[in-house]
Amino acid sequence: MPKSSPRTKAAVKLPPALAAIADSVIEAKLPNGLRIRLLPNDAVPTCSFYTFFKVGARNERPGITGISHLFEHMMFNGAKKYGPGMFDKVLESNGGSSNAYTSNDLTVYYEDFMAEALEKVIDLESDRMRSLAVTPKMLSSERQVVIEERRLRVDNEIAGMMDEELGALVYKAHPYRWPVIGWMRDIENITRDDCLEYFRTFYAPNNATIYVSGDFDPKQALALIKKYYGAIKAGPPVPPVLDAEPEQKGERRAHVHHPAQAPSIMIAWRGPKGEHPDTLVLDVVQYALSVGQSSRFHKRLVHELEVAVGVSVDWTWRFDPGTFTIGLELKPGGDPRQAEAALAEELEKVAREGLSARELEKAKNNLAATLTRELATNSGRAHALGTYEMMLGDWRRGLALPSAYESITSDQVKDAVKKYLSPSKKNVVTLVPEAGLEAAA
Amino acid sequence: MKRAVTSKLRPLKLPPHERRRLANGLHLHLVPRGPLPLVAVRLVMRGGSVWDPAGKAGVADFASRLFRRGAGGRSADEISEAVDFVGAALGGYANEENVVLSLSAPSKHLEAMLELMGMVLQQPDFPSDEIESARRRTLAQLQNELDDPGTLAERAWARAMWGSHPYGHETLGQRRSIEAITRDDLVEFHRTRLSPTLAHLYVVGDIDVERITAVVDRVFGSWKGGPELAPLVPDWDGPKDAGHVVIVDKPEQTQVQVRIGAAGVKRGHADHFPLIVMNAVLGGGFTSRLISEIRVKRGLSYGASSSFDMMSGAGTFAVSSFTKTKSVGTLLDVALGEVKKMRTKGPTPVEVDTMKRYISGLYPARLETNEAVAGAIADVQHYGLPEDWISAYRDRINAVTAKDAAAAASKHLFTDRRVIVLVGDARGLEPIAGKYGVVSVVKPAELE
Repeated sequence: MPKSSPRTKAAVKLPPALAAIADSVIEAKLPNGLRIRLLPNDAVPTCSFYTFFKVGARNERPGITGISHLFEHMMFNGAKKYGPGMFDKVLESNGGSSNAYTSNDLTVYYEDFMAEALEKVIDLESDRMRSLAVTPKMLSSERQVVIEERRLRVDNEIAGMMDEELGALVYKAHPYRWPVIGWMRDIENITRDDCLEYFRTFYAPNNATIYVSGDFDPKQALALIKKYYGAIKAGPPVPPVLDAEPEQKGERRAHVHHPAQAPSIMIAWRGPKGEHPDTLVLDVVQYALSVGQSSRFHKRLVHELEVAVGVSVDWTWRFDPGTFTIGLELKPGGDPRQAEAALAEELEKVAREGLSARELEKAKNNLAATLTRELATNSGRAHALGTYEMMLGDWRRGLALPSAYESITSDQVKDAVKKYLSPSKKNVVTLVPEAGLEAAA
Repeated sequence: MKRAVTSKLRPLKLPPHERRRLANGLHLHLVPRGPLPLVAVRLVMRGGSVWDPAGKAGVADFASRLFRRGAGGRSADEISEAVDFVGAALGGYANEENVVLSLSAPSKHLEAMLELMGMVLQQPDFPSDEIESARRRTLAQLQNELDDPGTLAERAWARAMWGSHPYGHETLGQRRSIEAITRDDLVEFHRTRLSPTLAHLYVVGDIDVERITAVVDRVFGSWKGGPELAPLVPDWDGPKDAGHVVIVDKPEQTQVQVRIGAAGVKRGHADHFPLIVMNAVLGGGFTSRLISEIRVKRGLSYGASSSFDMMSGAGTFAVSSFTKTKSVGTLLDVALGEVKKMRTKGPTPVEVDTMKRYISGLYPARLETNEAVAGAIADVQHYGLPEDWISAYRDRINAVTAKDAAAAASKHLFTDRRVIVLVGDARGLEPIAGKYGVVSVVKPAELE
């Protein structure tokens, strides 16, 4: 059984707790292309089982937006061996629970369960990868569930409405343009044939990576995975996604008019792709600007100027260039232009002067602490390492992040802010509060 | 489906739990556990929002959040900088029964952070400019939350359930009470409601027990004052607006938030484990009856659940879901029907076995982080639960029979003493709601 290779271990010296995790990882690949990562750890008598599929809203096209997410729901609705409703029933009766999520780039399924149930989980997961059934009845019922989910997260949730508007502003050509949950009319019209084609294209073992973490015997686990997954046929190579996004030539704005107590704004820029080195520089920028009460935005915008009640920065790595997003929640009667100007001033300061040595170190300390906290649970370890492998190409690069952050300089920060967060490339969505319908009527 | 085979459970590896008591009465709980170089600290003080005085709802939470915004002569910025620089997190807040100061820190910075924690606890300065700034932020937050249908549902639910009972105090406070809080109120809160005698400090993670005991003694040993005895929570005789349907009118909504509320049980009730198993069958797991009937069979909603919220002095039972306006009647009929069916017939033996396995199998995963271990131990302490609560939890779940669960359902699930809250377009909802009780309509602004 191949252990993690000494070549990469020698590359960076990890802190002891991270080195212990790195040393525990066992990697394997089946002839059908399925990648397997085992992380044995007997701290608690449970396991987590993650399956990462490299498919998400990025692989969709207009007309079937939201199919990745709808399909994620369908994966719980019956396969050949375990029919409709059985997946969760069998899992729960074996001391486990499951869930899944869909992002722009990935669809991820996971189970947490008592250690004794490992074979049952492998049986259940391999069954649906081998032989998912998409029945018209289950599709029609699940479609209604997803429509209610969209109503919950977008149509009746102001941040959801704004986020949807923002995606369509930042991207003109790339599939990141549409929301992961999909446009309502597309959700209503996705067909069973669309689903079947989608399954054949993206749910083959060669497009999947399994992470198992927890209290199990790795030899036995590998044998079980081979037994249950070994006969599943590899699929054709997944069609590539073209990033045809043109360069942004100037500031873009949109407004959302909706009944609300206070205005708010979301500002976004297109950043680098996840595996680009500048991604890590923007991680540092994100932390320096927004993590902790001493961060620049909190100190200046929330406490000193009081132009915002809350501020958040989201910089999520993606396969293709993703968005660096700042959200400002204002007070009732607050002035969005004033808030935006104050924010611009802060960014301009970083572009001009960079960060102080202490701020840089603070951001790095917090990034390292966050990374360590994620590794505290079976589920957290499997999810973190799996995400690193998906986004950075290798989980080892994830565990080595603290030392990669260590080398980032103030000049790099200045350059990245100038390059990615420039005023001429910003995209702004403003919420304009309207009186309620009742007042208008 | 085959019945799950019961086998012996793999043992829980519980870390040692050292208890000490300082001369001033502070209880100290130390739990050394690796392997990550992190520590979680929680200081739990009985003095939560339940005991906020009339007209000053929210004072406990408001004051606790201000502890770190200036203390011991150090400014808010200096304290924030010290905490943030080492990658730690430090904050105070109140819930119904407790005031909590929590700290998460890399272990090599624990001592310095404990010093800081001791200072913000014992010497908060409550600077006037910080008070006013926090007041403006809290008022804005209270108002902005009126845009969130889920929050509106919770606020309306709490009022209809608790009425003037102290558990109905909104932890964050209300517009009028936040406006009324003075600096003297904060000082008074700090002086009279927090005391080492009623406080428990939990330190869980990568620690040296003797060393941290010495640090805690040095930092918290001189803390004194406050009450000697925990105040009592008055009894509660069930939902204030039983038989009523409260509609919170938000005409722009295309989806309605639905809550049903009734009396539950206090924490540590003799029927605790049968109730937990029974509720898991009804609305706990992903294969629950509510999920199956509302989501899987009818596609009415994305989510549906039921839960018991158990506090020291009283407890509630709630059903929670959401659906499009025209489906609200169907959803209510299904949900009320399922509660009734459970109350009259109980769960089946297969359902009970499945949920026992589900709850006990996953229980160890509830003890994976330092924060989770601190929380679990703190609950045992706070609610006066048996010493073996954690170690015997899985056995007690597995001892529940279908008969026990049915008896608990019959005894504790509501018949007609229940409250319904609907957040959505009142014009669409009023014609539907009359069937379920006396209807009243409130505006979101009334819940600020």
